[in-house]
Order: sequence, then C-alpha cells, then structure tokens
Amino acid sequence: MTTTLTELDRARDVALDLSGWGRRFVFYQPRNFAFWGYLALVGIGVLTFFSTLAREYNAYGEAIGRAVTSFAIYAALFWWFTDRIDHYAKLPHKLMVVAFVWGGFAATGTMAANANDAILAMYGKTFGQVWALNWGAGLAAPFTEELAKGSGLLLLIALAQRHVRTAFDGFILGAFIGLGFQIVEDITYAMTSAGTQFGANQIGASVGTIILRMLTGVAAHILYSAIFCAGVVYLFGRPAEPRKIGRGLLLIAIPMLLHGTWDSVAAIAGQNALTLIGLLIGTIVVALIIVARVYKLTVARERDFVRDVMAPEQARNVISRIELDAMAGNRKARKAYRKAGRNRQERKRARYVLNAGYALADELAAARGADTDRVRFARSEVARIRAGLPSPW
Amino acid sequence: MPDPGAEGSSAALAPRFEPDEGWVPADERRFGLDRRTLRPTLAVFVLVFIMSVVLPVINATVPYHDIVRAGDVLELEGNVTFVPEAGWGITSGLREGHGPISGQYPAAATIEDGALKFTVRTGPFHGDAGQLLDQIEATTDALNQGRGVHITGAPATIVTAAGKEGTTVRVTGPHTAGLIAAFVFGDRGVKAVATGPTGAGAEPSAAVLRMIGSISQSGPEKR
Repeated sequence: MTTTLTELDRARDVALDLSGWGRRFVFYQPRNFAFWGYLALVGIGVLTFFSTLAREYNAYGEAIGRAVTSFAIYAALFWWFTDRIDHYAKLPHKLMVVAFVWGGFAATGTMAANANDAILAMYGKTFGQVWALNWGAGLAAPFTEELAKGSGLLLLIALAQRHVRTAFDGFILGAFIGLGFQIVEDITYAMTSAGTQFGANQIGASVGTIILRMLTGVAAHILYSAIFCAGVVYLFGRPAEPRKIGRGLLLIAIPMLLHGTWDSVAAIAGQNALTLIGLLIGTIVVALIIVARVYKLTVARERDFVRDVMAPEQARNVISRIELDAMAGNRKARKAYRKAGRNRQERKRARYVLNAGYALADELAAARGADTDRVRFARSEVARIRAGLPSPW
Repeated sequence: MPDPGAEGSSAALAPRFEPDEGWVPADERRFGLDRRTLRPTLAVFVLVFIMSVVLPVINATVPYHDIVRAGDVLELEGNVTFVPEAGWGITSGLREGHGPISGQYPAAATIEDGALKFTVRTGPFHGDAGQLLDQIEATTDALNQGRGVHITGAPATIVTAAGKEGTTVRVTGPHTAGLIAAFVFGDRGVKAVATGPTGAGAEPSAAVLRMIGSISQSGPEKR
C-alpha cells in the first residue's frame, strides 16, 4: 500500500491535535472554574502546612531543616526520573508543577488529613481502639488519600483540556501528584518523629523515619497515584483515549488495594519480624510489577503519536526508518539501535541522533507541524550530528 | 511506503488556528465561566466537603464510652504502665494485655473525667528526671511561643508507689491549670500531664496523684 506525503502530513496533524503535544499551558485562566477551585483548595492546604511548620519550627527546627533538605533532594531525583519516562508526547513542565502542588498541599492538608482523623476516630469508637490500631490505617488511607490525590486530576483535566489526552498523561500527572503528597507527608512524619524524644535528640529521632520513608517511598504514593490517575482517564475517557469503564475501575481499585495492604502489613505479619520484612518486600515487588505493566499499557498510544509525527520526516529522509522505529519504540528498541553502531563513536553518535530526533519532534509539535525556522533548524541539527560535524554554536 | 511523487516541502500548510487557553466558546459560557469546567470542579468540592466537614461532624456526633473499670491498667510503649482511676473515660490508649497484633503499644494514653484530662506519654530519653523536665519545658515553650500553658513555680520531687523518684512542676495557662510529672526508667522517659479548668483549684486532685503514683515500667523493654 502506498502512503502519500499528504496523507502522512494529515496523520501528523491529527496526532498533534489529538495528543495535545507541544501546546503551551497557561495556568492563569480566570474564566475556568477549576482554576478558582484549585487556587482555593491549594491555598487552604498551603496555609495549613506552613502554619504547622512555622509553629513546630521553633521546637524542632533542626529536624525540620534536615527533613526538608533530604526530601527536596529525594523529590528532585524522582522528578528527574518521572520527567524522563515522559519522553514521547511530553506534557508541559508547568502542568507537572501544578500537579505536584495539588498533591503536596490540597490533597494532604485540605482533604485527606481531616478525613483520616475522623475515620480513625470513628473506627476506634465503633470497633475499639485495638481494632483501629490494627486495621484503621489500612481501611481509611486507601480511600481518603487516593481519592484526594486522584480528584486533583479532574481539576487538571479541566485546567488543561487540550493537554491531558491519554491515560499515559494521567499516569505521569498522577505520579507528580503522588510525589507532592509523599514529600509533604514525609516532612510531616519527620516532624512528628522529632518530638518522640520530648524534643531531645531530634536528628536521631527523625533520621530513621526519613530513611525508612525514602526507601519505602519507591513503591508508595507516586506509584499508587500514577496507576489511579491512569484509571481515572480510562473511566471518563479523553479525546485520545476511548472510555474503558472496566479497565478504569480496575486501575482505580488496584492502588487502593496495594495501599491498604501496605498500611496493614504490621497487623498481617503479627510479631514475626521476618514475616513483616517478607511482606514489605513482597508488596513492593508486586506494586513495581503492576506499575510497569500499567506503564506498558498506557505508553503504547504515546509511541503511536511519535510515529505519526515523525513519519513524514522519515518519508522526507530527515530520519531513517530504523531511527523512526527506535524513536517510537521502547527502551529495548532504542538500545538495539544504539548498539548497532560498529564502534564506540558510532554508538555515541546514534544516541545523539536519537536525542536530536526527539528535539525535532518537540519542535514539530510546538509548531503544530508547520515548517518554521525552529523546525528547519532542528532538522539541520539531525543532519549535522549524523554527518559528525561539530556544532557551530 | 511514501509516494515519491508527492515529495515537497514539509507541511506547507499553515497550522490550524487555535484560540488561546483562556478563550471560551460563546455557547459554553455560564456566569462568565466555562460551563465545561463547572461539573468537575463541583465534584471535587463535594468530595472536599465530605472529607473535611461531613466526616468530622459525624465523628463529633458519635458518642464514645470506654469507662475505666476497677483493676484496669493502661500500657504504653516500652512496658510503661499506669493505673487509671475507675470511672474516668479512656480517650486513647490500650489496656495491658490487649495490645495490637504487632505488639507495639502506642506511646501515649489519655483519660478524661469531665473537664479534667490526664495524659501519659513515653519516649526514649537519656538523662534524669530533672533533665527530662527541663527538656519538656524547653520544647513546650518553643511550641507555645509564650501562649498557652507555661511552667510556674519550682520543681518538686515526687515518688511513685514503686519507689521511683521523679520531678513535678505546676503549669498554668489562660484557661487551664495542672501539673507535669517526669520520670526516667533506664533509657525511657515518661511525661504525665494533668490539666483542668483554672477554677478547679490549685492543688492536684488525689485521683491525679494516685495515677501519677501508679506509673511504672513492668519488665525489660522490648526492642
């Protein structure tokens, strides 16, 4: 079958239109009700968090300083990683910040904290305090916290209707919401730990909590919210993601179940330390396997967008067929492309060509497929790197 | 396979015009807002209302009655125990021998009798009872920043029924008064705080003194 360039260009336009890739995101939207809702709820959360921080800082300043520094570095690492896995039809960074702030302030202080306290107290009153200590957290937090974080995606969709188009967009934004939630929750936990020795030995009292939260955070809120928010997109459907109610509900239920299991491991394991460690590791491994599957499931559509956007470039010989396959392929495909080089220099160049190809895709997306100066320059960069010429800039 | 005959400059057509993000179609405006953004935002507001108002209100209306019976002993982290006064209500804390499955008792317990409140909290501490009291005073002052309760008067020695010596001091606040007692069992500190309304009298009640006197550590601390 023969595909004409016109058809390829049209397919690119459709892909860019559907995906929202390259569109500029503007946060200030006074005619958008979600903008005011977001501001109000985040504002309450910011006030709650910083008033607590300011009050406790006088007593636990040393521990708070250490916790904020440690978790800022931790957040930066996760931010880099999450941003890195979004290397197909990229979301605007500004939107990621908006997601992070929702998770950190609105989902925690405005929503989940109030509900958790009330539900735990009611469990204690209804089923007794021993029962509440055993199972309360596992039967409160998965509902309150996942809903609080996930509801943020509804506002983000309303704020960025032209950007949040696929389940993968939900996955990435969910990860950032979860990251914000986790960092603020971790700082709060560290603050609480600092007071467990009556305010003495603050660093010693909180460092264990900081390390534990960092280690276990790998498979916690970031992961839960990523899966949950992918489920939200499937549940409601988006222009580039047909509605799949069953899949959506399943992806919403899975992180709740994982979260509930995680919060109940101490009660499930009993007093056996080995069982406890085994359960903790088991839960983390299962969670990581599930999130990898969800990533694979959701990213396919994004790869199709890359193929549609870059296919006209391949037809015009800007990139080769193998390069197009590598760009629209998974990590293994990109690695195979790089490794195909005969020597180290060729392999290195192959990596640079791929990076230049992605930069060209981003420029094409920003230009909505038009032939702008920036696009022509990005094309010339692909050619220059392939020819092994030094950059004149 | 592309059709070579169709070769030409890439995407010669100008991109389709897109209105800016803030633009709202005339038929989608309600009260000056984008009608499409009302439902999701209202849905989130409903969730916030349930979480932050409905649940706390329901919780406040659910009564809680866990009355101390004669012979009850409350246990805290580190095998610290005390005997609560019969008839007082347990707000938080677990009875000895009725711990959670993990075996980890909570670090604090609170019981109440009307406006009187008695809280015992434990935690690791290296030092003697006097140093613990100094630490408690420093932390309380830092947290309250001149507001709320503050320590008044000189510390005095207090001895439990088991012969453990601790330090106690009076506290007063805008609406409450009471005392703080500090004990150290090995590497574990214990803080007991009894508070009541300012008008309840300057002297701690016999019940409070009995409860402070019953504080002990039973057996070696589990790690």
